[in-house]
Amino acid sequence: MPRLKSPDDLRELKQKLNRECDPRRTCVTICSGTGCIACHSQNVVAEFQREIAEKGLKGKVSLRRTGCYGLCERGPIVVILPERICYLGTKAEDVSEIVTETLIKGRYVDRLLYEDLETGQRIVRLDDIPFYKNQERLLLEANSLVDPKKIEDYIAIGGYSALAKALFEMNAEDVIEEIDKAKLRGRGGGGFPTGKKWRTTRDVPDEPKYVIVNADEGDPGAYMDRSVLEGNPHSVLEGLVIGAYAIGSQKGHIYVRQEYPLAVENTEIAIRQAEEYGLIGKDILGSGFSFTVDIQRGAGAFVSGESSALMSAIEGKVGEPKPKYVHTAVRGLWDKPTCLNNVETFANVPLIINNGSDWYNKIGTDNSKGTKIFSLVGKVNNTGLVEIPMGMTLRKIVYDIGGGVPKGKKFKAVQTGGPSGGVLPESMLDTPVDFDRLEKAGSMMGSGGMIVMDEETCMVDTARYYTDFLAHESCGKCVPCREGLRQMLRILDNITSGKGREGDIELLEELSEFLQEAALCALGSTAPNPVLSTITHFRDEYEAHIRDKCCPAGVCKELIAYQIDADTCIGCGTCAKSCPVDAISEIDDEKSVYVIDQGKCIKCGNCIDACPPKVKAVKKISASVLLESAG
Amino acid sequence: MYLNKQGNPGAETADVVVIDDELSICEGCYQTLEADGYQATTAHDGRRGLELIETMHPKVVVVDLKMPGITGMEVLAEVSKIDPTIVSIVITGYGSVDSAVESMKIGAFDYLTKPFGPERLLESVKRGMMLNEERRAAAQLPVAPEAGEAAEGPALDQQTVALRSLELLGQYYSLGLDKRDFLGELTHLEAEARFHAETLGRIREREKTLHDVLENLRVTDEVIALYGYEKSAVLQVMLEVQRRLNWLPRHVLKWISRRLKVSLGRLYTIANFYEALSLEPSGAHLIEICTGTACHVRGATRLNTTVSALLGIQPGQTDSDMIFTLKNVHCLGCCALAPVMKIGEQYYSKPTMKELEGIFDSLRREKQNHATVEVA
Repeated sequence: MPRLKSPDDLRELKQKLNRECDPRRTCVTICSGTGCIACHSQNVVAEFQREIAEKGLKGKVSLRRTGCYGLCERGPIVVILPERICYLGTKAEDVSEIVTETLIKGRYVDRLLYEDLETGQRIVRLDDIPFYKNQERLLLEANSLVDPKKIEDYIAIGGYSALAKALFEMNAEDVIEEIDKAKLRGRGGGGFPTGKKWRTTRDVPDEPKYVIVNADEGDPGAYMDRSVLEGNPHSVLEGLVIGAYAIGSQKGHIYVRQEYPLAVENTEIAIRQAEEYGLIGKDILGSGFSFTVDIQRGAGAFVSGESSALMSAIEGKVGEPKPKYVHTAVRGLWDKPTCLNNVETFANVPLIINNGSDWYNKIGTDNSKGTKIFSLVGKVNNTGLVEIPMGMTLRKIVYDIGGGVPKGKKFKAVQTGGPSGGVLPESMLDTPVDFDRLEKAGSMMGSGGMIVMDEETCMVDTARYYTDFLAHESCGKCVPCREGLRQMLRILDNITSGKGREGDIELLEELSEFLQEAALCALGSTAPNPVLSTITHFRDEYEAHIRDKCCPAGVCKELIAYQIDADTCIGCGTCAKSCPVDAISEIDDEKSVYVIDQGKCIKCGNCIDACPPKVKAVKKISASVLLESAG
Repeated sequence: MYLNKQGNPGAETADVVVIDDELSICEGCYQTLEADGYQATTAHDGRRGLELIETMHPKVVVVDLKMPGITGMEVLAEVSKIDPTIVSIVITGYGSVDSAVESMKIGAFDYLTKPFGPERLLESVKRGMMLNEERRAAAQLPVAPEAGEAAEGPALDQQTVALRSLELLGQYYSLGLDKRDFLGELTHLEAEARFHAETLGRIREREKTLHDVLENLRVTDEVIALYGYEKSAVLQVMLEVQRRLNWLPRHVLKWISRRLKVSLGRLYTIANFYEALSLEPSGAHLIEICTGTACHVRGATRLNTTVSALLGIQPGQTDSDMIFTLKNVHCLGCCALAPVMKIGEQYYSKPTMKELEGIFDSLRREKQNHATVEVA
């Protein structure tokens, strides 16, 4: 491929690519994000290739593997352009029908279309599905337009034009000014103003300077960065080069979790292609500005996502945080000025440079501009990635986009901000989502995990879960975090196993305060948040565990038991087959019924699911009830 | 008493002739051997040594390989012409394994690496004496009993084994291992080869282990080169080696430590810190169960309990057949598919008990078939 030597070269290439590809031509796009690949979307691709060739559609219909479409649980997703017909849960065996019906005869395959939860109506176009209709997909939209492994796709939709603009029409100060005016805030969780960070790094009179993309997405339950990097790596690279130009850096690193092999692969390909086109490397687009970037893989440590820890990891040391007496923007990687931003932050940059800060300021609230991507997961009907304008209420996200809680269960809480955030109960669902208001409500924006919990989620168990996670991930360097979390975990373990005592709640509160005050880094000082917010909003659940030795949600293993109701049991034996430890056996007592050996039972709950819905003989009961009946 | 001159005046025969241009070695050997009841004599160069051998017909010759004038190799070749029953033991300098291998090929029975202690010398000479006796006995027999049997006598076996191991060590050495370390390894192997020569099976196993070690080190070298011998790339190197070998054996860590000049202590700290690195060998299939929040809320605990019960192992453990290793991971980033299990590159969304049984059974069968093929 020819090296692009000027902005004109880039423009010409774009025009050439646009001429070659008629937007009116039918194009079958198949999601190839990790979620859909897990559901065998590769087989669907292969089948389409075969069918299209066999039915003589070659040259008339094109095929494209795209990045993540977002509605991951309903994958593999197939969208047929230009009409944007959306088929969900497509299997290889459906392909032949889609080709014959839709591509040849122009009819829809009804059973693969989205079914409205309330009306039962089928929805044809992607954009009419409530999940998509209520989003504002500034960043994610491009995921569906490009094959992440082809830089030409990105250039064809105007990719790298922001870079050309920054390099040739703006100086470094202009770029920072524009980002400043756009009020872009860091999307990794902290919400620090990006322009300010860039300027600080730029103004330090020390060379060389480094820029780092933080893609060490450690928050459990969040995968926004993964999808952006997998689905549209060039948008991140473009933002990174623009940032480097503004800061005056010639060397960048992208730090990606090794748990994300596809993100690593696609980013590697993207860097190579951008280098071949001269969009990364020496004398970019003939501007005289040079910049190189490499990929570093993180090895699975949550705390390494913290900026100073991440820099230690890149230096080949253990990824533990350092006390930041001097900010990393001044003295970071190799003790040089370093600017670290999150994947999503960088992906926003080309949009702002291209469209201007005024345009960007029209989206969002006063102090939080633009959009934010959330991973809307847990007990919600439409799970997946959603991009919303700042200021949308939690209720709208959970109900309008997410379609509410499945199986008619009752909503209990939504958790944001990962292990540093908190839970928000039903009464706070009208909180608009932006940096400041979420924090005021007792949670935080975080990197974008949004976990919906229903009545069958135990809030004490949730607090225990996060504390366990953090105790495990604590680097152990400072005492408050290491010991404080261990003690909190011990108390929570006691409570969830029925050994809680009066005064435990107060003790947790006291320890929390101690951690907030004394921990060395943000991991420790925000660690009590899940505990505190569950105590604030769900104190009654804690009390039920402590006083009545009962888990109202029926989650905590030690406090529940499974029992088969002899009267309703029909003796079919499906439960016994589903038991991994053979704890269920048949007894003949007038009629054939099954019983659970409580001594053997590991309380996995497989039997309750296996019991036919018409019968429902397996019951979950409080362990104390079982004890009473036995004694 | 050693007289600090060559030969042993008054004596017409000797059990052992020691040939070395270093007087201190000669003296040391002489005193050790005499003290143990042998009749010994010494020579300070090859020419004098050969004269002594011809006149005294010793049972064992101990000869340094590197000498001015006639070299040890040449002495070796001559000795077998003079009297094929004489057993030769060579002395080699630091780590010159290649020459040790060469010397054994042309008939040396054993070799001593400098510096060596008196026990090592006596032990070798004692075995040399025994072999000499066997050789003499065999030479006196009118007809060799059976050619095949003679060729595979115990001594020969021992020699083949030692040779094979030595050649391996030569390769090991050619990788540039530090000489002192190498010496330690060599001594260890010597002892092994000597005492267990009769149990060839065990040696073969050791050879296999050595082969594996070599292979692992080669892989490691490849990875280190891939990252340009950069000290700061140590984590990336470890990750890549982990990906290729499935774990980080101690010799690999030592190798990385030496190549990248990073202390072994730091490598262990890193290996312990990061979830993705493992200091224990894992089974053929790594089963990862996601414990991210989305998965937790949707029943990761149940999935964990079920899989543990089905395989009979807890997270972090490997089953006794080395087929499965179960691991809990913090978020695989497939939150919409929760709860998620990953085996190798394949993700499974909400697997049911029945599906799990099917998956594990087919993986077990795959391993068994594989094993059968290997045996065949």
